[in-house]
Amino acid sequence: MTAAALVPGAVFPDLVLPDHTGRQRSLVEIAGGDPVAVFTSRGWWCPKEQRYLRQLVALQDEFEVAYAKLVVVSTDPPEVQSAFRAGLGARFTFLSDAERTWIERLGLLETTDTVHRPYRPAGYTLFPDLTIHAAYNGYWSFGRATNEELRQDMRTISASIRTDWELVG
Amino acid sequence: MSAGSSRLVWDGIRLATELGAQGRRFRADPRCLTGERVRAFAHVCALADEEARLPFDQPEVQQVRRDALAWWIPLLGESLVCLTTLAVDSVDYGGAITVATDHAYFDSDPFARIFPGTVIETDLFAFVLPPPGPIEERKAGVAWPGGTFQ
Repeated sequence: MTAAALVPGAVFPDLVLPDHTGRQRSLVEIAGGDPVAVFTSRGWWCPKEQRYLRQLVALQDEFEVAYAKLVVVSTDPPEVQSAFRAGLGARFTFLSDAERTWIERLGLLETTDTVHRPYRPAGYTLFPDLTIHAAYNGYWSFGRATNEELRQDMRTISASIRTDWELVG
Repeated sequence: MSAGSSRLVWDGIRLATELGAQGRRFRADPRCLTGERVRAFAHVCALADEEARLPFDQPEVQQVRRDALAWWIPLLGESLVCLTTLAVDSVDYGGAITVATDHAYFDSDPFARIFPGTVIETDLFAFVLPPPGPIEERKAGVAWPGGTFQ
């Protein structure tokens, strides 16, 4: 698989990775029947990531009341993610690919950073079965999904999966 | 108790699931009462008084669930067995229970801000992966963090 294969209509892999507390989690289990926005992130040390994740923190209240999930994947170990998450004030789940189980399989290794060899910033909005609704290439910061784009994606996904979206009667 | 039951009875000292147990009845996340039980400590932040209830929609009840996701679950680390709110009915919150193999952090339990906590040793509960969110209970009326629209 390459990043080029992670396009709308394709199914995002059901990543199984430790979360920020070290527990094994799968994306489908985290989704729990709800839409999900998954973001790959360079890691805690990158100022661009710090800024972008603060943006997601500003969105988390909306996701929570709308029954949608945010997930961040990086190569930071769980204890580092846990500290970063606490510093951000995030309540969503971080998944740790410190063992680099998925980074190359997903084709999301940021090859231009030969020091950290991190995830390339990318974002995917997913249906509960992990079908990709939209993909965002965030190598350049302006390629990243804005909160408004994420709201619109979640609206489209929710409208298609919530059978009572249009209340009758 | 039948498989998938969510009924818990609390008399202020003892938690029970048996039919006919005396005390106040609550609904818990049924996943916590299903599967292989472990010997652990339960921090029961609830009162036996039937009047001790608040709507789930009350801001304080929303906030303790945010705190659970933000720092309570990470603080407990691997000692966490499960946690559940205690639903009185589909509207009202009657308390919460955090179950852990180590009770060292129970003094920090955010749920104790609403109703005071009592520590008991119990083998009623099973391991359940902690919730990834949301903080809202589901329309089905299952106690948070249980329930799904699926």
